[in-house]
Amino acid sequence: MEFLRRAANPWNQDVWIGISWDLMWAAVIGGLAFLVLHAVIAWRTPKAESTAVAETGDPAIPDRILRHSAASRAFHWLMSVTMFVLLITAFFPLVGIRFAWVTIHWIAGIGLILTIVYHVVYATMKQDLWSMWIGAKELKEGTQEVVGFLKRSPPATSSKPGKYPIDHKLYHNTTAVITLAAIATGVLMMVRVDTPFWARNPYLLSDQMWGIVYVVHGLSGVALIATIMAHIYFAVRPEKWWITLSMINGFIGKKEYLAHHDPKRWVVTPGPGARGGGAAPPKVTGGAAQSPKAVPQDKQSDRLT
Amino acid sequence: MAVIRDMIPAFDLFQPTSIEDAIDLLDQYGDDSWVFAGGMDSFDWMKDRIKRPTAVVDLGNIPELKGITSSDDGLEIGAMTTLTEVASNSDVTSRFGLLSQAAGLVATPQIRNQGTLGGNLSQDTRCWYYRAGWPCYRAGGNICYASAPLAMNREHCIFGADRCVAVNPSDTATALIALDAKMVVHSSKGEREVDAEDYFIGPGIDITRMTVLETGDILTTIRIPGTWAGAQFYFEKVEDRKSWDFALVSVASALVVNNGRIERARIAVNGVAPYPMRLDAVEAAVTGKPQNEETAEAAGDIAIRGASPLRHNDYKLPLMKNLVRRALREQAP
Amino acid sequence: MATIGQDIAPPDLVAKVTGRAKFAEDFRAEGMVFAKLLLSPMPHARVRRVDASEALAMPGVLGILRAEEVPQVDAPREACLTDEPLYEGEPVLAIAAVDETTAADAIDRIKVDFEPLPFVLDPLESLRPNGPDARIGGNYFFRPRGSDIAEFRSHKWTDADFAAAGEGQMPMGEPRTEWSVGDLDAGFDQADLVLDETIVHQTLSHHPMEPRSCMAYWQNGKLYIHPSTQSTARTAVGIARSMDLDPDDVVLIGPYCGGGFGSKISGSPTMLIPAVMSRKIGRPVMMRINRYEETYIGRSRPGFQARVKIGFRNDGRVTALDLYIVEDGGAYGSGDFNTAGTVASLSYQPLAMRLRGVSLYTNTPPRSAQRGPGGAQIVGMLEPIIDKAARQLGIDRVAIRELNAPDNNGWLGPQQGRLTSAYVREALAMGKEIFGWEEKSRLSGQRNGTKAIGVGVGLSPFVGGSTGYDGLVVIRPDGKLYVHQGIGNLGTHSMADTARAAADVLGLPWDRVEVVWGDTSKHLPWSSNQSGSQTIHAHTRANHAAGIDARRKLQQIAALDWGGSPGDYVVGGGRVYHRSNRNQGMTFGRAARRAIQLRGKFSGYEMDDDLNAMTVASVQALAGQGLIGAAKDNYGREGSTWTFVVGFALVELDVETGQVDIKEYTAVADCGTVIHPRSLAAQIHGGGVQGFGIARSQRWVYDPQWGVAFAKRFYTARPPGILDVPLEMKWGAVGIPDPQTPVGAKGIGEPPVGAGSAAITSAIADALGGQCLCRTPLTLDVILAALEGREQPYGPLETHV
Ligand SMILES: Cc1cc2nc3c(=O)[nH]c(=O)nc-3n(C[C@H](O)[C@H](O)[C@H](O)COP(=O)(O)OP(=O)(O)OC[C@H]3O[C@@H](n4cnc5c(N)ncnc54)[C@H](O)[C@@H]3O)c2cc1C
Ligand code: HEM
Repeated sequence: MEFLRRAANPWNQDVWIGISWDLMWAAVIGGLAFLVLHAVIAWRTPKAESTAVAETGDPAIPDRILRHSAASRAFHWLMSVTMFVLLITAFFPLVGIRFAWVTIHWIAGIGLILTIVYHVVYATMKQDLWSMWIGAKELKEGTQEVVGFLKRSPPATSSKPGKYPIDHKLYHNTTAVITLAAIATGVLMMVRVDTPFWARNPYLLSDQMWGIVYVVHGLSGVALIATIMAHIYFAVRPEKWWITLSMINGFIGKKEYLAHHDPKRWVVTPGPGARGGGAAPPKVTGGAAQSPKAVPQDKQSDRLT
Repeated sequence: MAVIRDMIPAFDLFQPTSIEDAIDLLDQYGDDSWVFAGGMDSFDWMKDRIKRPTAVVDLGNIPELKGITSSDDGLEIGAMTTLTEVASNSDVTSRFGLLSQAAGLVATPQIRNQGTLGGNLSQDTRCWYYRAGWPCYRAGGNICYASAPLAMNREHCIFGADRCVAVNPSDTATALIALDAKMVVHSSKGEREVDAEDYFIGPGIDITRMTVLETGDILTTIRIPGTWAGAQFYFEKVEDRKSWDFALVSVASALVVNNGRIERARIAVNGVAPYPMRLDAVEAAVTGKPQNEETAEAAGDIAIRGASPLRHNDYKLPLMKNLVRRALREQAP
Repeated sequence: MATIGQDIAPPDLVAKVTGRAKFAEDFRAEGMVFAKLLLSPMPHARVRRVDASEALAMPGVLGILRAEEVPQVDAPREACLTDEPLYEGEPVLAIAAVDETTAADAIDRIKVDFEPLPFVLDPLESLRPNGPDARIGGNYFFRPRGSDIAEFRSHKWTDADFAAAGEGQMPMGEPRTEWSVGDLDAGFDQADLVLDETIVHQTLSHHPMEPRSCMAYWQNGKLYIHPSTQSTARTAVGIARSMDLDPDDVVLIGPYCGGGFGSKISGSPTMLIPAVMSRKIGRPVMMRINRYEETYIGRSRPGFQARVKIGFRNDGRVTALDLYIVEDGGAYGSGDFNTAGTVASLSYQPLAMRLRGVSLYTNTPPRSAQRGPGGAQIVGMLEPIIDKAARQLGIDRVAIRELNAPDNNGWLGPQQGRLTSAYVREALAMGKEIFGWEEKSRLSGQRNGTKAIGVGVGLSPFVGGSTGYDGLVVIRPDGKLYVHQGIGNLGTHSMADTARAAADVLGLPWDRVEVVWGDTSKHLPWSSNQSGSQTIHAHTRANHAAGIDARRKLQQIAALDWGGSPGDYVVGGGRVYHRSNRNQGMTFGRAARRAIQLRGKFSGYEMDDDLNAMTVASVQALAGQGLIGAAKDNYGREGSTWTFVVGFALVELDVETGQVDIKEYTAVADCGTVIHPRSLAAQIHGGGVQGFGIARSQRWVYDPQWGVAFAKRFYTARPPGILDVPLEMKWGAVGIPDPQTPVGAKGIGEPPVGAGSAAITSAIADALGGQCLCRTPLTLDVILAALEGREQPYGPLETHV
């Protein structure tokens, strides 16, 4: 298998022109293999005893807890649309489904950028930016979990995450890095194609630099194939439906909250009208109790030290 | 590895005598195979060692692919019929003079004796960046050299660019589009018929090909329906020299005019886009209009709407506009 | 009957039209193998490392030749292989193999690590304050006369120089060469009209039909070489010098040459490659050059950017001409701008003139003389400007040329040199007559549908002869005259036609004349280069001298045998006989036998002591084979010999497409005595067609980013095709003998090019209503943009487009 597409430039110098599309198949196969493996292990692993925590919960905790605000959900779905458009436009032509893809691709790319900009701004201003931070303890717990999963021992119940479990955070952050790489390189690549924004200039960077840009874009592209496959897989796994559902209607139930989250790490306080299932979301904060710094309530992280 | 040009490397030559055998060979060798007609484009690639097929499949010994026959109310032309024959055959000259004119203006007599209609339609672009073997989009790379800020792109396109800005070089293509011809393509999957217009594809769809042909496909026949037989035809090719040259812009039109009114029109231009371009908007605008200078003027303006010239080819706008006008003016009988 | 003035087919004709003629690549030798070149992919680079191990391990590969193995030359000259290529396509190394396919496959497998170096394509870019230089060290070679300094230096202009030029005008900083004649300011003061134009002339590849292939082998220490070269004697001497051999040890056999146009004057550097490779591997080596390689190594005419200011009096007289040329000297430097200035001075005889110029090295293929070097470019550019003045002053365009043209008292160049003769007004008058100027010029600007008629006229002078070479003839016992010719045979017929001078002196019919040429083992005399339109002049003189020498010896032998004084004997019809008694005499055959018996000067055992060493060796080798006439051209001459050609053209310009159709072309030459009318017509018309290409279509294109050439195929370089040539082309010759040469003939090879180019640039400007676009080639895009009032496709100074 080749990893790179290379060519001789006009001066007969060896340059990279992109990744080998074998890697696309590798990502697809790798992604599938992961899913199958995971599914098989999960299927053969004894279910954890259902912990009866629900009743023991703080009565102040509302029955429905808002996990994703309407704005976050809108962001998620908009972003996923642009992402799918990007993936489809990038890879369908490579597997023989041909259409004029480049313009749709970069327009979707701009769509993606806009949603992400919105997301970042929103997350910084309104949400808890630190909720995606992965601390050392968490990392340890995460590793233990993976090892446990591979050993097919029942999930540990000793510690529970805050709002976002470690796998979500890892997923989110990996995807964020990959996507940002795709975006950064994609924006540069727009200089090579016809757009209304600037005159085409393939010589903006040296051949070598362009090679790197195309390779990074390609790599992030195929990496996204695998990550998104995994994402969808988990979204449709029955034990995660409650999360998937929350991305649709915004809420999780108190039961799921108590079962899957550490109320100390994800403190939920009822907001006005929460109990009545009103529109205003309950206040959701990070683990203020453990917070080493005196950060304002709504901006605190559930960072663990 | 060093580059050396203008020296053909060795290859295996196959000369099948039937379409089936040819297709078998193409399937057997896949991407290492090369369909060889008159060689006027093929040899160039091989001499420059840029395309290096190991199995060259020469269609020259397949009798079904040669010759011109009447069918129903139209004509069927074998893909391996030489351009000379297409230009001089009396059935073509008398009923579809547009095609014979176009074929007769290709390159030179020597090239027309050797070059075939199928090859002329299937030939690759002459963008010199691409033909220099540079790793451009069309060559599977990730760059268009010809649209760079200082690039030499006088011959390149003003329409239809999608990363690639090359133009289609074929003179017969526009004539066949104007005549509403159909291309018959054979492969191991069977036979399919494609409208002349759809035979050519732009870089948006597949940046490495000029036509719908894929590995294993053979263009076998060009069918010309009787629809436009004896219509009012106009073909003009503007080139730097009167021989040897590819069109900078060419135009082909077929009009059915009744009592000075244009009843039906088909018009196509080449040299302006990566594919021969049918001018639907012009056709629509002139249909039903009187054939006069006013209509011609308007048609010229419509034709170049939306064109976006590169650094050195702005002249193609007035050139195309004027050629379209000419194509719609009344012709001296 | 005299042979001069007759249409006589040259002796190589049948072989050529039947395909039997052997050109360089047709030669074969026992054990011959093939060489192929590896060319630089970069416009300027240094070879860091070559790994040829894989190539050399291939079966059939016999050897590699690297730059350090070939004859070394001092900067700035060009060696046949280099490790610092200075232009894309420059040969770096060669591989020999049993066949060409293997040699090419071997090149494919060589790994060369090139380090790219800064490069420049446009001399104006190199002149910018921080502009790149083509060489490490500079953009021109500094070697003042009488000093030891010889090095590259940088010539730059200042920002202020660039800023001083108006929009679209060529800036004019410090020149490298400057001369002037008369008082320029006074000249402009007298002017009623002053035109100031910026000009761009393209560079042009030579594109001879035959590429410069070469085969070579060694036998008993002698080098046998079959190059494609314009000259014979001079090329052999050049090879001997380059290979450090005794001239006797070089046998050059090359009786045919498929054109050179100045690119193969004394061969070309690459012809040494098979010679050195053959010595290295001990096998005869054939190196066939293909079209692709030919465009790189095959030389080119320097293009230029220029600015010209011309002052005219109301009557059309040119009072002042101020010309500034920035020339592209290519990778190895060369400039013909000085000739351009000289030609301009000659054409218009301005009351005052200044030439300033700078020719800089660029990283583009080597330049060399090309048919009318300097002259063809400048007349094509200036003639439409003269038209513009004529139009503004309301003067007939031929009349303005007649007014300014030189006559026998004309002058040229910085030294205000003199001419042997100039019959320009006669040529203009004859041209007007044949072309029908009076009626045709009335058609100017008329429209026929979308076609506008343009009528043009161009005057093109070029140097037409050199002197001082040797003639060598032998009358053998078979009674035939053998004229040995050291000039080459590049298709101009001069190797045969100049022999007529000897034939006529001896009164011999042509069927008894044998021309010996193209093979230095056949003992050839010292000759001029086959270039610069010299040969018809130089070698009618030399052969005339040798004929006179042979005639004198015939008369002496007759007097010895029959009594009386030599002066009593006449020579004619293959006999020498007493003027009063035809029977008292002998045939040439008998005289030859007598000469052999008499030895001494009669049969070459003694000879004049002013003969060149090469001629001496040849006479010695031929001694005893017949009556030998050998003499140097001592006829003398005052001033320089110049030929003039005027071209007239009628074109149709399609105002909707910009296409130009040349409908009629007439050219008339003042080239002295006409030796061979048909051949003269071929030169006048052939050169004219080459000029059409310059004016209309021929391109030289570079990608500015990579410094890589694109117009390297015929179909991309676009020299004219046969359909671009008008069906009927007419010609004429004034036919007044030049008074300073015995036969009266002046050279004709070069000036027809400028006439063709200028007639077309002038006609196109005329069809455009007098608008001079001042650039070549005038392709239809340039014309259409002007017609439609759109922006020009190229910047006013943009070159290599
Ligand atoms: C100097 C020069 C000038 C020219 N000028 C012009 C011009 O002005 N106008 C113009 O229209 N053309 C021009 N041509 C092109 C020429 O006219 C040929 O028609 C054309 O290049 C190819 O025809 P061919 O039969 O030689 O095919 P080839 O060169 O053998 O084939 C061309 C291509 O088509 C494919 N192909 C050919 N036949 C078939 C088939 N039946 N089925 C599937 N694939 C096929 C081949 O695989 C190859 O890729 C010029 C060519 C040259 C060399
Ligand atoms: C995040 C998901 C994305 C994926 C999966 C993706 C994937 C790809 C792939 C596989 C290619 C082909 C690359 C090659 O030929 O080597 C490509 C090309 C391209 N992408 Fe993306 N991309 C993504 C995001 C973006 C973004 C955000 C932009 C710009 C805003 C962008 C702009 C481009 C452009 C302009 C090209 C064409 C470049 C060319 O052909 O030269 N992409 N993309």
